[in-house]
This record gives sequence, C-alpha cells and structure tokens, in this order.
Amino acid sequence: MIELHDVWRLYPMGGETINALAGIDLNVSQGEFITIVGPSGSGKSTLLNIIGGLDTPTMGRIEVDGQDLSKASDRELSLYRNKKVGFIFQTFNLQPTYTALENVSLPLVFAKVPSWRRKRIAGKVMETVELSDRLRHKPNQLSGGERQRVAIARALVNEPKILLADEPTGNLDSNTGEQIMELLTRLNKERGITLLLVTHDLKTAGYADRMLRMRDGQIAEAVDRRQVL
Amino acid sequence: MRFLDLLRSAFSNLRRRKLRSFLTIFAVVIGASLVSLLVSLGVGTQEFISAQIRATMPPDVVLVASDQDTFEIGLGGIGFGGSPREVSHGEGSRFSFEPLTLEHIGNVAGLKHVDRWDPYVVLRVDSVRLQGSEKRFQTRVRALPEYQVKATELVAGTYVTDQSQWECIIANQYLDSFGFEQAEDALGQEVVVEVSKITSFAGLPGEPKDYSFKIVGVTARTLRSTQILIPIENGKEIARFWIGDDDWYTDKIPPPMIQVRVDDSRYVNQVAQEVKDLDLGAFTADDALGTLGNIFTTINAVLSAFGLIVLGVASLGIINTLVMAIYERTREIGVMKAVGASRGTIRLLFTAEGVIIGFLGGIIGVGIGYALGLAINRISHATFLKDFETFNISTFPWWLIVGVIAVSTMVALAAALYPAHRASRLDPIEALRYE
Repeated sequence: MIELHDVWRLYPMGGETINALAGIDLNVSQGEFITIVGPSGSGKSTLLNIIGGLDTPTMGRIEVDGQDLSKASDRELSLYRNKKVGFIFQTFNLQPTYTALENVSLPLVFAKVPSWRRKRIAGKVMETVELSDRLRHKPNQLSGGERQRVAIARALVNEPKILLADEPTGNLDSNTGEQIMELLTRLNKERGITLLLVTHDLKTAGYADRMLRMRDGQIAEAVDRRQVL
Repeated sequence: MRFLDLLRSAFSNLRRRKLRSFLTIFAVVIGASLVSLLVSLGVGTQEFISAQIRATMPPDVVLVASDQDTFEIGLGGIGFGGSPREVSHGEGSRFSFEPLTLEHIGNVAGLKHVDRWDPYVVLRVDSVRLQGSEKRFQTRVRALPEYQVKATELVAGTYVTDQSQWECIIANQYLDSFGFEQAEDALGQEVVVEVSKITSFAGLPGEPKDYSFKIVGVTARTLRSTQILIPIENGKEIARFWIGDDDWYTDKIPPPMIQVRVDDSRYVNQVAQEVKDLDLGAFTADDALGTLGNIFTTINAVLSAFGLIVLGVASLGIINTLVMAIYERTREIGVMKAVGASRGTIRLLFTAEGVIIGFLGGIIGVGIGYALGLAINRISHATFLKDFETFNISTFPWWLIVGVIAVSTMVALAAALYPAHRASRLDPIEALRYE
C-alpha cells in the first residue's frame, strides 16, 4: 500500500547538506501497524512527513495506494492529506479558539462538506474517541489525554486509510499514554487503518507488528514481531 | 473550501483582534469617505452648472443655422470656453446672418427623428417694469415653444403654452425687484416690457414701444436671474417691431435660426450630423457643455486622486495587519495544511480578510461621506446657497456609491495579495514546529 524506493531527502544547512533520509526502501501493507524508533535527527519525522505528503523526497519514488506522491502537485497533495491520511502530533496542535467539535470538523471544511453535515460527522467521530460529553469544550478546558483524543478524532474524521502519529504519547503521563495507545491499536485492529507511529518509548513500540530502527537517515534494523513470536 | 466557510473564517479571524481590525478598517473608512465626499461635491457642482446650461440648451434640441459661425454671434459670442476665433474684417460687428431658406427648413424638418421645429427668436428689449411702477429693470426676454418652457422649474403658477397670449413667467429674482413677499403675490400682476427698434442702437431716433404681459408663473431660483419667458408667437411679434420688418418670422423671410426637437435625445448627435451633412450649421447641448464637461472631469479626477492617496496609505495598514496575522497564525496555517488546505485555500483565506476590510471600510466610508454631504447641503442651504433650495452641492449618484465601495475593495484586494502569497508559501513542517 505504501511503497518507498530509494527515497532521499536532503536539507541544505549552512554550507553543508544534511541527509535526513538516505536511500529508504520500505513497503507497508494495508492494515499494518509500524513503529519507527531511533535517536533524534535520525530521520523518523521526515519519513513520516514524506509519507503524509507534507514533504516531498529530493530523490526516489514514493507511491501510496497507487498514487505517485513524488510527482504530485500542491493541489493533489493537499487532497491526499485531506482524504487519505490523518496526522497526530505530540503537541496535539488544536486551535485554541475553536471548540473540540470545530477542531474535529476542520478537515471537513477543506473537504467542502456543508456545515450541518460537518456537525453530524464530527459528532459521530467524537463518540468513537469517547468524548461525546466534551463537544463544546475549548482545548484549554480539556485534559492532555482528552486533547489528544480530540486530535485523533480530527485525524479520523475523513475516514483515512493511514494514520501518522509523531510521538502521540510524548506529552502524556504513562497511564494516559497507555489509554491513547489502546485507542490507536483498537482503530488499527478493528478498522484496518494502517498506522505508522514515531516514538522513542520502547514500551509503546511493543504494540506494533513491525518496528523500524532508524539511524542517520537509514533503516538500521527492522524487527517483525509477528515472525519473532 | 466553501464560500460561506471562507467568509465565516475571515470574519472570525478579524474578530479575534478587534482593535487592530477596527483601526485598519478605519483607515479605509477615512479614504473612502474622503473620495466619496469630494467627488460628490464635484458632481453636485457639475450638475448645477449643466442644469443651467440645459435651461438654455435642452438636451433634445438641435439649433440649425446656415453655417456654424452663426451660433457664435447669435448666442452672444461667449465662445463656450473655446479659443477666440479669428474673424475677417468687419465680421465682428455684423449682425445679419445668411438666412435659412424654406428649402433648408423643409429638408431639416424631413430628417428622421425630427419631431418639430420652431424659429429661434432673437430678441433684444430695453427693460421691464411692474405695471404702475417707474422702476425699470434689465431683462432678457426669451420666446420659447411650450415644450421648452416646461423644462423650467416653477415655484408658483402655471406654464405659458403655445396658445397663451400676452402671458409670461418671471425669474424668481424679480420677486425682490418688484417687491413681492411671496411668489403667489406676483401671479396675475402685469409687467411692461419696453422695446426700441434695432435702428435706435445706431443712434437713429426711435420711439420705444410697451408690451404688457400678465404674470402666470414664477421660476425656481436659477443662474438665469433676469429671464422672462413669453409665448413664442408674442416673441415673433415683438421681434418684427424690433427689426422693423413685418415680414420677419413669416414665410417671406424665414428665420435665420431654427430649433429642432428630436423625438429622443439619444439621436440628437445623429440629427446634428445629418444637418451638417446638408451643409448647414448645427449646435447641441453637448456643444454648449463641451469644454465645461472636460473641466469638471479634470476637477473630479484631481479630487478623487486626493482620496485615492489616503486609500493607498490605508492599504499599507492592511498589508501590515495581514503580515502580522501570518506570524500569529503560523502554527494554525501549518495545521490547516496538514489537514488538507492547499496553498490556494490559504491564499484565499488571507485575501478574503483583506477584501472584507476593504468592503466594510468602503461601505462605512460612503455612509459617512453621504452623511457629511447631507450636512454640507443643510449648511449651504442655510447660508450661501439660500437662493438655490433645489441645488444640492453634494450629490451622490448610484455610480459614486458603487464605485467607491468597489475601489476600496479592489485596493484592499491588491494590498492582501502579497501577505496572502506569503502565507500560502509557508512550509507546513516549519510552521508546525513554530513556537
């Protein structure tokens, strides 16, 4: 479903060039749960951003669901981000002036869904993350775990095939973190959503089917939990 | 993004920074009210002057004479703003024109869209006085066909008609001269117009003759403060005495100048051209307004330019406001891009904010300009324009209202282009990391 062939991402920094990704080959099939671990600066987030269509490779090819992202226009990429993938961030990135429901509805706005249908769809997704009683709350009236669940609802609202999570539990205590991981695992198992998750917490990584360890822009090690067991 | 969501989002962003949005809009308001007020004053003055000229030269009338020069002499040679024309020796003092022939008149009357024709009666009288009074006043007696009389606004009485005999309409200013308190008091009174034969101007003896008219109407205040309107048939009779030839304005001696009425003022210039093609002279309201119209166009352009400069300065405020907003909303822009906003959508969002600032500023500005204009009209009617109640020095035609709102919106749109472009080019990854 996700195919990367010799993907490079180079950044000019000062006089030097940084290889954020240095020849990545990766195949992810539908419904897989993959965690990506590695030291900071190893290229985990860059890999996630390229799969999410927020960034494009300097060299190489990336194809998702038959769509060649390396050649896509801005308009095609934004449509892809809107419909095919959902982002979950460490810092939640909710709009402080919007209510929870409005935050969840934001992707629907860019999908040109009329306002009355947005409320219905977003309300349903809020049920999935068990926050039906928090629709009118602003982010600062919610706990950390609740905020992340609102963010997950926002990522789910257009029913994407892929969820991309960048350290989703990094700002949460371990108890809340576990609840979030359980929610994400459930979405992966029950709905068959492909899940790619960046973390440096090995316990979190333990939830996945496959674990990729990155170093210096390359995949240093790949552990398939299903084969190990 | 749907249009309604675009508006909603732009409005809610403007509301988030109330004071700053208010100040930015306020700058546009000042520009828009200045443009609209200044232009309204220009338009008002222009309409006033044009109306005065139209009172002499109705828009649906073409004057016809044997050649073009006749109008310079016959209408008093005021030149209507053109350069002084070179004349041949002796021409300047000449009063006689090459007369029109009956054949000429027949040809002109037969042109398409020509409704009717009347002689243009040239008259010169000595004075006017109220019956029973010895106080004589200067006057300009105009003998007009009924349809032209009716173009004049009255404050009291009725119009003279083509059937009227020895009735007249007096200019409003005569009320003071004759000592009437109210316009109605003058109705039914008699005035005496004193006429000397044309030969007496050359120093030859000539007994003046008196013609009495009953006042049936009083005009509104206009710049034509010495006019007295009489029926065209009475005018012909006075003219025959004045010239000293009973054949004038009969078939024996056709009038030197005729006025032709066109059935629709749209065809006036067409008819005038056809008259010129007959090798005759033609003169229209456009000719009378000609240079004057250009002067007012220039004045209006200069006045608008002042306001446009202010609008230009206001646009700097819009740029500043929107660039500030990019910094404040960098992370938000990143999130919007991550969840599916394209560069075009982000650009549209910021452009919409600018357009709303310009549109609101334009509407409020025109409103304030309009209110100031009303105030100026009130004050001017109470003071220096007391005599011209019907004249509004500040006039707001629909095109001025629509135009100022459109220009404010366009200026704001132009100002928003750069910030909008800059916001759309933000790298979403950088933006999401932005603190």
